[in-house]
Amino acid sequence: MPQSASVTNAPFHGESPSSESAPEVCVKIANFNAWYDSFQAIHDLSLDILRNQVTAFIGPSGCGKSTLLRWVNRMNDIVPTAQCTGSLRINDVEVLSPSTDVVHLRRQVGMVFQKPNPFPKSIYENVAFAPRLHLKLRRGELDELVEWALRKAAVWDEVKDRLNAPAFGLSGGQQQRLCIARAIAIGPELLLMDEPCSALDPASTLAIEDLIYELREQYTIVMVTHNMQQASRCSDQTAFFFEGRLIESGATDDVFTKPQQKRTDDYVRGRFG
Amino acid sequence: MRDIESLEKLSIDPTEQVKTDDDMALPIPAAVKNGAAFSVESNRNSRRRVLVSKAFYYLCFGVSLISIVILVVLLASILVQGHTRLTPSLLTNAHSTSEPAESGMLPAILGSLAICAVCALSALPIGIGTAIFLEEFQPTTPWLRRLHGFLSLNIANLAGVPSIVYGLLGLSLFVFMFNAFGQIRVNETSGIELVGVERYYQVLTMAGGGNSALIRQTDPAQPTIVVTESIEAVDRQGEGFTLEVWDPKSGRAKPTDPEVLRRTVRKGQSGGAYAKTSWYYFRLPFGRSFLAAGLTLALVILPIVIIASQEALRSVPPSLREAAYGLGATKWQTVRSVSLPAAMPGIMTGAILAMGRAIGEAAPILVVLGATVAKNSGPQNLMDTVVTMPVLIFHWAGDPKVTYQQLAAAAIIVLLLVLLVMNALAIYLRHRFRTE
Repeated sequence: MPQSASVTNAPFHGESPSSESAPEVCVKIANFNAWYDSFQAIHDLSLDILRNQVTAFIGPSGCGKSTLLRWVNRMNDIVPTAQCTGSLRINDVEVLSPSTDVVHLRRQVGMVFQKPNPFPKSIYENVAFAPRLHLKLRRGELDELVEWALRKAAVWDEVKDRLNAPAFGLSGGQQQRLCIARAIAIGPELLLMDEPCSALDPASTLAIEDLIYELREQYTIVMVTHNMQQASRCSDQTAFFFEGRLIESGATDDVFTKPQQKRTDDYVRGRFG
Repeated sequence: MRDIESLEKLSIDPTEQVKTDDDMALPIPAAVKNGAAFSVESNRNSRRRVLVSKAFYYLCFGVSLISIVILVVLLASILVQGHTRLTPSLLTNAHSTSEPAESGMLPAILGSLAICAVCALSALPIGIGTAIFLEEFQPTTPWLRRLHGFLSLNIANLAGVPSIVYGLLGLSLFVFMFNAFGQIRVNETSGIELVGVERYYQVLTMAGGGNSALIRQTDPAQPTIVVTESIEAVDRQGEGFTLEVWDPKSGRAKPTDPEVLRRTVRKGQSGGAYAKTSWYYFRLPFGRSFLAAGLTLALVILPIVIIASQEALRSVPPSLREAAYGLGATKWQTVRSVSLPAAMPGIMTGAILAMGRAIGEAAPILVVLGATVAKNSGPQNLMDTVVTMPVLIFHWAGDPKVTYQQLAAAAIIVLLLVLLVMNALAIYLRHRFRTE
């Protein structure tokens, strides 16, 4: 696999906030294969994801990028037919071994989904959900945590007067930011975002993109997207997937402006996919 | 925030677009070509189709009218027949064979409520638990998955089993318990009595007028006692005393003091078995008790509750579960705080509709409790038999006396009102949960 490339060797993007020091690897994926029943969704994939950077997974539908994302927090455990081999290490800890406590893993790997999926509860209860599961907080501490998460997700000003109103009353973009607040309220290492803006209007998309760009100072973010402009606007690293294989990965500017592979070139120019 | 000029400069060569010229050049087939000029006036073909459409509308309207007319006729006939008997005494009196006009259905209402309570308390936890197992805990191993599918199929089949079959099942399972604990015989120690019963012999004292003393039963095999010597006894209030014996042949004068008479029996007086029960009297098997009837009805509605709960859980968007799992919730936490609350309106609606079915069910009750209606109170203990509304209606409607037939109509109105209240409650709950 010559293309299972050299994200670490790629020239580092200058705009990144931690540009002084060399970026650290957060997730190290090696020789990864994944199946649904007998269909192989991912073929021998190796990729490093860098800390405090936004990594975008791009590629046509069915290329395995969501599958890979869902293996990082073992979300595919709930799919009975899903299987995988290889190695996926977060902070040098193997995630794929059967002995992994997925509940503890998912606490440290937040996930934001394609469609905003707030619980049918109040705004406050949505954000307090995970802290209530994992931490024993006093009422005041919980209130502070909820406010911090909502501020962090840039939705506090819009909801501070109606924290006890149902979350379904919010607009799509507000709901998605609420879901981000919900995910970060438990202090994850890593944030996984599966097409976080695909169900949103352009204005909300912009708000979320700004937020993602802000959040990378404290989190490592992996984002699946179909939107080429979005990948180029708000990611530091880009990985291009095609038919279950990693075709090319590297700094976003390099992938978009001087791709090494013809298929990457075709895809980012919008000739297929 | 990022330089994308380089991207915007990218040119897209039009010649590389997917080729569609060949498709565009295909001529329109003659069969679909309209030929004539564009017009919005109806022609014969369109007029015919509009007519058929209208006819279909009236057909559907007529068919739906039939069911409504039947319902209205039913309600009207019942009201005409029963309105004269819709009196307070209907709700406060018991069934009476000697005075039909004074008959009421209070014991039947209490009995139906008692049976429904047993039914709800047993069927709802089991049904909802089963539905959670079937919907939320999808097994991963292949043979378990096959078992899972087999189970689901069987539950769907059980929903179609006639209720009288459940009646027979309840009869052998709850009433007799396959005679594993012995048989129930009237006024005798029978089965395995666990709690809440004290067995006595009842002996008539010399005070007469039905005054009797109770002697504790020591040997369960002895159904009767013959008093020959003085013995410890209690009165109805549980107060202990020594029961004296008066032998007419002894030549002693017959006591005259009523207090002494109350504590004295004639020598050789015999007494039959008498059971003093508390409300928590419990024994195996259950016999013809409201507990057995309620559990039988629980069997009848269990498949309905399971299927309704399954549907409700299935309609909870999978994305909500994923969100919970993604936040590190365990399966139980996900079920408890996400799936179950979201499915609650559907589960409640299904449960209340199932209870509505249970309260109107007559066949299994007839099998389990029999058709007797001679009971003038609600259940006194867990092993007590009851009369239910459908059985009472069945009994009254079959009686040749006109009064009873009117009473049956009135009782049907009461039963329908109860069902109406339950359905209204179901709709209210569904609405309330949905708006929250």
